[in-house]
Amino acid sequence: MRRRNALARVVEFEVRRTLSKPRFWLATLLVPGLLIVIFAISVASGTSSQDASDAQSSERFSFEYIDSSGLVDPALAAAAGGIVVTDPQHGIEDVKSGAVVAFFAYPADPTANPIEVYAADEGIFANGKYSSVAGSLLTSSATAEIGSPELSAIARGAVTTHLTTYQDGRIAGGLESVIPPMLYLVLLYIVIILMGNQMLSATVEEKENRVTEMILTTIRATTLLVGKVISLFVIGFVEMLVFAIPIAVGYAFFRDNLSVPDFDLSALEFQARPMIVGALLLVGSFALFTATLVAIGAAMPTVKDAAPFFTGVILTLFVPIYAVSLVVTSPDAPIVQALTFFPYTAPVTALLRNAFGSLPLSVAVIDITMLFALSAVVLRVGVQLFKYGSIEYSRKVSLKGALTMWREAKSQQNKR
Amino acid sequence: MATMSTTMGTQAEEPLVRIEHFGMSFGGIDVIRDLSFEIRRGETFGFLGSNGSGKTTTIRALLGIYQPTRGLLHIGGREFSPDHGDSLGYLPEERGLYQKESVIDVMTYFGRLKGLGRATATHWSQNYLERVGIGDKAKVRVDKLSQGQQQKVQLGVTIMNSPEFLILDEPTKGFDPINRRLLMDIIEDQKRHGATVMMVTHQMEEVERLCDRILLLKDGTARAYGSVSQVRSEFGGTRIDVAHDGPVPPDDAYRIVSAEPGHTVLEVANDADTAAILRFLMDAGVAVRRFAPTLMSLDDIFVEVYGTDTAGAKQ
Repeated sequence: MRRRNALARVVEFEVRRTLSKPRFWLATLLVPGLLIVIFAISVASGTSSQDASDAQSSERFSFEYIDSSGLVDPALAAAAGGIVVTDPQHGIEDVKSGAVVAFFAYPADPTANPIEVYAADEGIFANGKYSSVAGSLLTSSATAEIGSPELSAIARGAVTTHLTTYQDGRIAGGLESVIPPMLYLVLLYIVIILMGNQMLSATVEEKENRVTEMILTTIRATTLLVGKVISLFVIGFVEMLVFAIPIAVGYAFFRDNLSVPDFDLSALEFQARPMIVGALLLVGSFALFTATLVAIGAAMPTVKDAAPFFTGVILTLFVPIYAVSLVVTSPDAPIVQALTFFPYTAPVTALLRNAFGSLPLSVAVIDITMLFALSAVVLRVGVQLFKYGSIEYSRKVSLKGALTMWREAKSQQNKR
Repeated sequence: MATMSTTMGTQAEEPLVRIEHFGMSFGGIDVIRDLSFEIRRGETFGFLGSNGSGKTTTIRALLGIYQPTRGLLHIGGREFSPDHGDSLGYLPEERGLYQKESVIDVMTYFGRLKGLGRATATHWSQNYLERVGIGDKAKVRVDKLSQGQQQKVQLGVTIMNSPEFLILDEPTKGFDPINRRLLMDIIEDQKRHGATVMMVTHQMEEVERLCDRILLLKDGTARAYGSVSQVRSEFGGTRIDVAHDGPVPPDDAYRIVSAEPGHTVLEVANDADTAAILRFLMDAGVAVRRFAPTLMSLDDIFVEVYGTDTAGAKQ
């Protein structure tokens, strides 16, 4: 009972003091804040650039043109203010002299060669109108030639397909079934990147502040470390929420302005197995990285000393990204197998394979078991490092030394 | 709060602390060779020794922070576990608190870890801070306090659960005389309320004022162990401060500790007949103007025991 109370008090203290710090909120809100600013700028500039583009393509000015393709409709060109000429040099000279504002030279094959545009300079942004008008004149002429807006759209390739595939006689999930379990991978990256330093400094703090001896005579080292890990879970959850809110708001209300694909959320397929496996992999991965970083912190005298090890652990999160195409397309490749079973690359690899449906259940069970078991072992080692190394205030604790002391202690206890 | 009967044993006659044949080695080097002693319930025990003599190692082993190489270390009849931490107050030599938290938050946290309710811990802390003169610092971050103020907070954390057993490793280190006296008063309060105190200090006047029994640790073994008067008797015997005219002759009845013109300090066995020595001096033609026998101070004994390895031992 006392231990459970102590654990609850450690968790409460750690969570409360972290959440009550302005620095925490500053760091946590920085990313969503930046996202909101970028959203706002995107919304504003998205609207204005669309307006400008529309205005430019319909702008009217005097121009001459020569049409080697024979595709430009003279009536449409005349309506837009165009005069046909036969000598390109003449057109260019007219632009130079200011007789006309622009001259367009349409090539014989506009699909192979560009339309040459010569015009009076009006600045980088305003100059865009010349190309817009030259292009839209050709597009309008082609549409008029086809005679049907639908055919014209089809000719432009503006068609969509809907794919239905079958696996074992049942409709198999497509991209809609990949996205939900893939979110676990995104969450893992976000949480580890946002909280890595906090995990690392969780135990270094006691050493740096010389609090260890008082703590170790008040509560068990295991209680302290487990309390810290649980509080990191809670804080991580808060950070995920804070991070997710602007994204959800942006998607729900500003999807069009942000040029976000209008993805039909109702089409997402939440298949039970990948969702459950993904959740277990996420929790196991988070536990392993947390336990590892806490153990590193327990062995190091300062955060600065722990930094190189921290970098090494974080890098293992990114190694599978280099083989991502193999992970997706050739899950049986030896490198993918190695990445799947090496504990620190397993989280990302297994989550990717789980999302793409190439993680067999047996491998998933092995990975999940491995992650949880190794987390427990690493946390246990972390406790020993903290316990035996915590009063080595100013030097690193060797793993060998701590484990030797542990073995000797066990042997002494057995003798007694 | 847990009671003594539930946390630190039940037998009133049993010593609270029992250490038998304790040995501790680091990397093959014996830091503690063979140490045995007891601390009785309700007493204040002075655990003395020069720097590096193994005092802190012994305390850490007693509290389970170090695993002993050999021997038995019991508090209340069993090995210490943090699960019994409610009845212990430990002020370690290496001091520290959570630096970025407010004083009241840190004290309340430790109080709650020691089994107090939030309201009780906060109330006690506020009262304690008032008592030690830093009541206005309750909401100040710990790292904004002076070293002395932080020490006061740490002592508060140590005693806030009214521990039955207090281990204080150099409690007055770094304190000015006024605050040292305040601390001594607080420790005496704890003692009056029945706490057993184990104290490491280099301040012999603190030992003389507070300690019932002492142990002098040297080279990993107990060099002296017993009540203050027993140790005094065992070690130094009596010193006689003599003001005189004429030379003091040497004699087997005493040892001349220092001799200056007109002033000599003699050392004699505790059971020596000082009156006979005075008569001997006068018969030898020494004109004695003052003859003042006094027991050797603990300070003198400390110097005698540790000799040249006391460099840096005494503050």
